[in-house]
Amino acid sequence: MALITQRIDVPVLVDESKCLEKCTACIEVCPLDVLAKDPQTGKAYMKYDECWFCLPCEKECPTNAITVQIPFLLR
Amino acid sequence: MPTDVELNKWIDQLQSSSQDDRLVAVKTLQHLGDDAAIDALIIALKDNSPAVQKIAITAVWELANPVAVTPLLDCLASPEAEIRSEAAAALSELITTAHLLLLLEKLQQDDINVQLAVLTLLRKIHDVQSLPALLSFFESPYAQLREAAIVTLRYLNQVKHCPPALVLIHDTDETVRRSAALTLGHLTDAEVIPLLTQALTDPDWQVRRNAAKSLAVHSSPNALPDLLSSLNDDHWQVRKFALQALQQIPNPQLLPDVIKTLADEAPDVRKEAAIALGNLGHPNALNALQQALDDPDRDVCIYAQRAIQKIQANFSLCDQL
Repeated sequence: MALITQRIDVPVLVDESKCLEKCTACIEVCPLDVLAKDPQTGKAYMKYDECWFCLPCEKECPTNAITVQIPFLLR
Repeated sequence: MPTDVELNKWIDQLQSSSQDDRLVAVKTLQHLGDDAAIDALIIALKDNSPAVQKIAITAVWELANPVAVTPLLDCLASPEAEIRSEAAAALSELITTAHLLLLLEKLQQDDINVQLAVLTLLRKIHDVQSLPALLSFFESPYAQLREAAIVTLRYLNQVKHCPPALVLIHDTDETVRRSAALTLGHLTDAEVIPLLTQALTDPDWQVRRNAAKSLAVHSSPNALPDLLSSLNDDHWQVRKFALQALQQIPNPQLLPDVIKTLADEAPDVRKEAAIALGNLGHPNALNALQQALDDPDRDVCIYAQRAIQKIQANFSLCDQL
């Protein structure tokens, strides 16, 4: 899987102001293991450019910090 | 399976003064899904933070432990609508007949949200023992409670007569009248048919439609003249269900009026008319049904064809005899 080089145009967007440092709910539920914690900020981010748009990360986030941008043709 | 050490770590964190820590703990306990955490999760149902409360409700719901029923019932009184709806959804899966007395006791609580949710939950138990408690809600000043009570009455087994429910067909609120019209379809009191035929002229079209639906259940010949008038109703759904009711009471008198509805603007009405003509089995309907074979709606053509076959089968049988 390709590493994400820049974190703006990715399907899984994390609102860092809401993301809890100790929480790993989204990372645990991702079936592709593409989410990870940024060791510097402690916030979740999309590490690999791969997504099934299955949405458990968005649903399970206790603070609603995650938004999955579903491509138009998949909506 | 999580180890005790791991579990205890999250249970302890659930007591933290930081809301973020409690959120992480309750979410992790939900993911671990260990029944040993049930007591801690039940305490979290009363957390100060609605976000923690909501996740705790989902967590105890997933554990499906009946111990959680009483604390979940307390959540129905929460000022937060999200908490109340999550708790009601959880309870709808956890409630069993064993909780009937608990629910009836909760119904005495003077809180409209709790009463509404409990009235809905009683529909799952179907027990006639809830009837006395329901009756008091028919006179409630809140339309939502009257509506919930009349709907719940429909779900109770063995209830065939309930005179206090009949007056709700004249309620000032149309949502109550709509539900009352449907519930009357399940009651067999002597006044039910006259009340339902009166409801066919209600100013609200959904009340008229529901009354026609209930009359189809009763299939009483006494309703025939009023159902015939309903064939000229302004709303197509009323005409459709009036025809469905007439299908149950085939009478040659109906023929001219039903043939007229075969040219109705609504395809659903024309379809029901074709079925009704098939049930009447009168050869005078054959010409009209032949024309309906060219109807632009495919359903109408199919049912017209079936009606023709039904009438012809009746007559070939008569000839053989």
